[in-house]
Amino acid sequence: MAQIKIDNLRKEFGVGDDKVVALQNVNLEIEGDVFVSIVGPSGCGKSTLLNILSGIETPSSGKVEITQDRHDANPGYVFQAARLLPWRTVMDNLLFVQKDPDSEEARARCQKYLDMVHLGDKGDKYPGELSGGMQQRVGIARAFAVEPDVLFMDEPFSHLDAITARSLRRELHEMWAATGKTILFVTHDVGEAVELSNRILVFAKGGKLEDDINVELPFPRDAANEEVAVAKAQVLKKFEDLDLVAT
Amino acid sequence: MTAVTEKVPERPPVKGTEDSGLLRFVKKPIVARLLFPTLVIALWVFVDSLEISRVFPAPDRVLGFMWDELRLETLARTNLYETLGISLLRLFAGFAVSMVVGTAIGLGMGLSKSVDAFFHDWVMAILAMPALVWALFLGLVFGFGSTGPVLATILAGIPFVIINVREGVRNTPRELFDMASAFDVPRNRMTRHLLIPSLMPFMFAAARYGFSVGWKGLVLAEVFASDRGMGWMIKFWYDAHRSFAVVGYAFFFVIFAFFLEKFVFDKLYARAFKWRPAVGAIELVEEEIQESFIDALDPEGAQTLPDRDRLGDN
Ligand SMILES: Nc1ncnc2c1ncn2[C@@H]1O[C@H](COP(=O)(O)OP(=O)(O)O)[C@@H](O)[C@H]1O
Ligand SMILES: [Mg+2]
Repeated sequence: MAQIKIDNLRKEFGVGDDKVVALQNVNLEIEGDVFVSIVGPSGCGKSTLLNILSGIETPSSGKVEITQDRHDANPGYVFQAARLLPWRTVMDNLLFVQKDPDSEEARARCQKYLDMVHLGDKGDKYPGELSGGMQQRVGIARAFAVEPDVLFMDEPFSHLDAITARSLRRELHEMWAATGKTILFVTHDVGEAVELSNRILVFAKGGKLEDDINVELPFPRDAANEEVAVAKAQVLKKFEDLDLVAT
Repeated sequence: MTAVTEKVPERPPVKGTEDSGLLRFVKKPIVARLLFPTLVIALWVFVDSLEISRVFPAPDRVLGFMWDELRLETLARTNLYETLGISLLRLFAGFAVSMVVGTAIGLGMGLSKSVDAFFHDWVMAILAMPALVWALFLGLVFGFGSTGPVLATILAGIPFVIINVREGVRNTPRELFDMASAFDVPRNRMTRHLLIPSLMPFMFAAARYGFSVGWKGLVLAEVFASDRGMGWMIKFWYDAHRSFAVVGYAFFFVIFAFFLEKFVFDKLYARAFKWRPAVGAIELVEEEIQESFIDALDPEGAQTLPDRDRLGDN
């Protein structure tokens, strides 16, 4: 079972007059196969938090620890833009991040997750030959194919049209249910957060963790369902109370 | 949805504006491409027929000269193949050094600010120096050997290689490196599948510039700092007042450059960049849209209703 511990985390960029505090006083514990959404206005440090957790950035002070049964956890990452190597085929993009890219097992695993995002027959295409939605699905398959203990997702659907985003959200949720892992999902869409997650972390400008909300409704959650609508309204109300809406 | 799919009514073709058979023939790319040299040759023959000057290179004399040279009948002391061989050897030697050393310096300059500061002014100085100055200087220093021409090739080409490689390093896709490090991809795999491919377009630009600019530096140096090679040979025919021979020799190189471009650079380019999207992309986008529609209209997903309404409004 994956465990994330964040202890008094602080992150600053730049020096002197250019100094920006991206995160401060963040204390947090996440455990088990939960779907955690991180919401907040843009610039409040959501991406920075994921980047620190995944090792792209280092903290200015404080500590982060991600473990899986006391070992270092295996991470996966889905970015806002797909971030595929344009000069490698879809299959080679998946193999690129595998631990053992030359093995038959790795290839089979990648094929399995390509099938899962309905792109099983596109393995030998180049990313430039795919639409934006398909590229994003390749990005999702790539992250699942490393069979991560913890999966980071940074506004993965925000560039996509509403219909594509909706079907990908559903696919993602099915894959999460089928494979079981800890997901940290950044979004600025409260509705998306309420539909997808067990737990919502609300960040405010200056990188402070303002609220930590548990959403205890059964999955799959239907946007048209009354309880879901009520939960959404409640979270939005909290947003208003915290004065986070104007972004 | 009607507004989107509504077709603009096709206008009936107006009489007289349709392309005639001849015009359509001329508009074909291959024909258009051949049309230019044809016109040049026609103009050339025409100007020649005016008999303005006794030394004007008549087309038939140029062709005759080239034919003789090809058959090894020459008055000069090296024949065409020897001359080409000498110059190409110097060109490739200089080009190879430009590429290797230029790439190393360019990588250093792109990666480190102090390396950049160290070389910056030198590169600009070499770039600013007219090739003629190198040619004269190298001729004085090294005499009539191969050293001067090879150095001239390097000096002409290397700044372009350095600048292109440096820009390549500065433009490496940061977000792809972040992606790779988030997935803990090992460094050698990153170099092979990420760094090198991202530098390729810049390496190609470096090679093309290094080659063509290096060639110009070489020919000039051969005029002043050599007693062999293409540059020297053109000078030889110039001294002999054989304008048709000067033009003929220039053509030999143009033809060579054309074949090199067509059969080496284009082939390499096509191989290195076969990932660039070409055909088929549009089809896939359409397929995706269709899939989304099927999803949206899926009766089990009641949540899709608002979107369906929105589509209807368009
Ligand atoms: N690499 C960086 N260099 C300088 N400032 C940065 C960098 N990354 C993020 N920031 C700054 O840190 C703050 C938080 O950024 P980010 O985490 O991207 O916010 P979010 O993802 O919530 O929109 C912003 O003010 C942003 O300008
Ligand atoms: Mg962000």
